[in-house]
Amino acid sequence: MSEFLQHAPSHRAVRVWVRHLVMYRTWFVAEWAGSLTEHALYLLAFGYGLGHFVPDMGGMPYAQFIGPGLVVSIAMWSASYEATYGAYSRMRIQHTYEGMLSAPLTVGDVVLGDLLWCASRSLIGAVLMLIVLTAFGLVGSPWAVAVLPVVFIEGLMFAGLGLIATAIAPSYAFFNFHNSLIVMPMFFFAETFFPLQGLPPWMQAVSQAMPLTHAVVLSRGLIVHGQAPDAAWHLLMLSAFTLAFLAVACGLVGRRMLD
Amino acid sequence: MERSLSELEFEVDGQGLAKSYGALKAVDGVDLRLRRGGCFGILGPNGAGKTTTIKMLCGTVIPDAGFLRAFGLDVATEGRRVRERMGIVPQESTLDTDLTVYENLWVYAGYFGLSRRESLPRIEELLQFFHLREKWGSTIRTLSGGMKRRLLVARALIHRPRLLILDEPTTGLDPQARHLVWNRLRELRRQGLSILLTTHYMEEAAQLCDRVGVMDEGKFLVEGAPLDLVRERVGEEVIELRGSEADSLLRELDGLPFHPERVGDTLYLYCQRGSPVMDRLLQSGRRDFLRRPATLEDLFLRLTGRELRE
Ligand SMILES: Nc1ncnc2c1ncn2[C@@H]1O[C@H](COP(=O)(O)OP(=O)(O)OP(=O)(O)O)[C@@H](O)[C@H]1O
Ligand SMILES: [Mg+2]
Repeated sequence: MSEFLQHAPSHRAVRVWVRHLVMYRTWFVAEWAGSLTEHALYLLAFGYGLGHFVPDMGGMPYAQFIGPGLVVSIAMWSASYEATYGAYSRMRIQHTYEGMLSAPLTVGDVVLGDLLWCASRSLIGAVLMLIVLTAFGLVGSPWAVAVLPVVFIEGLMFAGLGLIATAIAPSYAFFNFHNSLIVMPMFFFAETFFPLQGLPPWMQAVSQAMPLTHAVVLSRGLIVHGQAPDAAWHLLMLSAFTLAFLAVACGLVGRRMLD
Repeated sequence: MERSLSELEFEVDGQGLAKSYGALKAVDGVDLRLRRGGCFGILGPNGAGKTTTIKMLCGTVIPDAGFLRAFGLDVATEGRRVRERMGIVPQESTLDTDLTVYENLWVYAGYFGLSRRESLPRIEELLQFFHLREKWGSTIRTLSGGMKRRLLVARALIHRPRLLILDEPTTGLDPQARHLVWNRLRELRRQGLSILLTTHYMEEAAQLCDRVGVMDEGKFLVEGAPLDLVRERVGEEVIELRGSEADSLLRELDGLPFHPERVGDTLYLYCQRGSPVMDRLLQSGRRDFLRRPATLEDLFLRLTGRELRE
């Protein structure tokens, strides 16, 4: 038992987070210039371009329908990217984790610090995207800010999922699978671009099983109406996915870092 | 008179340590002891198990068998407290390549719970100590290999550890930098720091260590004070002859106290100081030999063989 507690996290995880923050200042401008532009383009091309030909969707203009989805999608991409390419580089290439473990940090501190950092990046992305939506006049209620805690949980969730991939990845190339088989399908099918009503049952089932769907529903409700239907249920599902991914990620990363 | 050694006199006390990777026994029953204030050097060819042994102390390699204490604490259950008291210089750099020298140090100080106010003066002091002042704002990618090594040593000292662990501290350093590091380490030892190091440089071990162990295939072959080991296992002097008619020479010297070893075109004669071997060689008119004191290098090669390891 005490050998297990050896690896438990502590407040020192904050120091890991600080390290990532210091590191981040060298490239965050480039990152958001890319990612935010990309998502703003989705909004323009689909929301306004395609939206010109699409009648109201779910009782709102198409741009307003996809805007909240883009908020949680940018958060998903950001956390996933950090937990795969970023964490892999720290674990396997730059030996950053090894350096941390030679100080009085534990595997728990390192993983928790990474998770918090991924979730922080999700938050940054979501805030930037909210500002874009506000500029386009797509935010319907000041309660839209309540999406941020949702985004934080979502960030932890995709950080956990990404760390699982990182722990089993033999090389960077593996993340192509993670991106195109896991993240990308959610980006398209988690009620981000179209509602589920009226779709074939199998498609509804797939979509319901996607963790991102719950974040999208919450986000759309909060940003457009200031409240979300079945909020408790979606939060519960989001949290359950998050806890499950985190548990698996901690186990796998620990095994990968300790011989 | 030899005092009885209580457990607490050892900074490191490991017994029966073992670690296998599949069928390979990387560490195979090692006892590791370091007395407080001492400097113990692990010597051994590539793949001997030096790094694996050291990583057991850091907690990143979990031994399959054996028992390991540091500062009286069990490494298996109190790793964090153990690492709070020791500084580690790994074989491969773990510096943050995109951060500056200065940022690397204060971020790392944070891992030990040091506040910025505490770490700032310490960073100044260490950069000075290792001649890195001018580089404080450079990113790690722009440093030379030797500067990175020195920075790693500086970083390991940030929290004033009781024990410093160095895995090949001076590999890749030029002679000036190597002597700088040796000087610094001796100075730190005088202040009471205990040191555990691995090295391929016998001179390094001779300069720094009061005890050495020669490791091969996961086991210590011998262990003791460097000079004693050399005297006991090798002798005091070595006479090297190159390209000579070895067989006839050995016949000439038959009956004298020495130990020969032939490697390629060189014949090594290990003997005690003032041995009659010298006289006999001079009498026979030979001048093509080199006579020198025996060193740790001779001991090392005698024990681990002169062939290259895989
Ligand atoms: N993670 C690992 N997985 C498999 N084998 C390993 C691992 N780590 C070390 N080994 C093997 O264990 C043996 C000892 O390795 P170790 O790194 O301890 O040697 P070393 O004495 O430090 O060598 P060097 O002088 O080259 O640094 C080697 O045969 C090595 O291949
Ligand atoms: Mg090694």
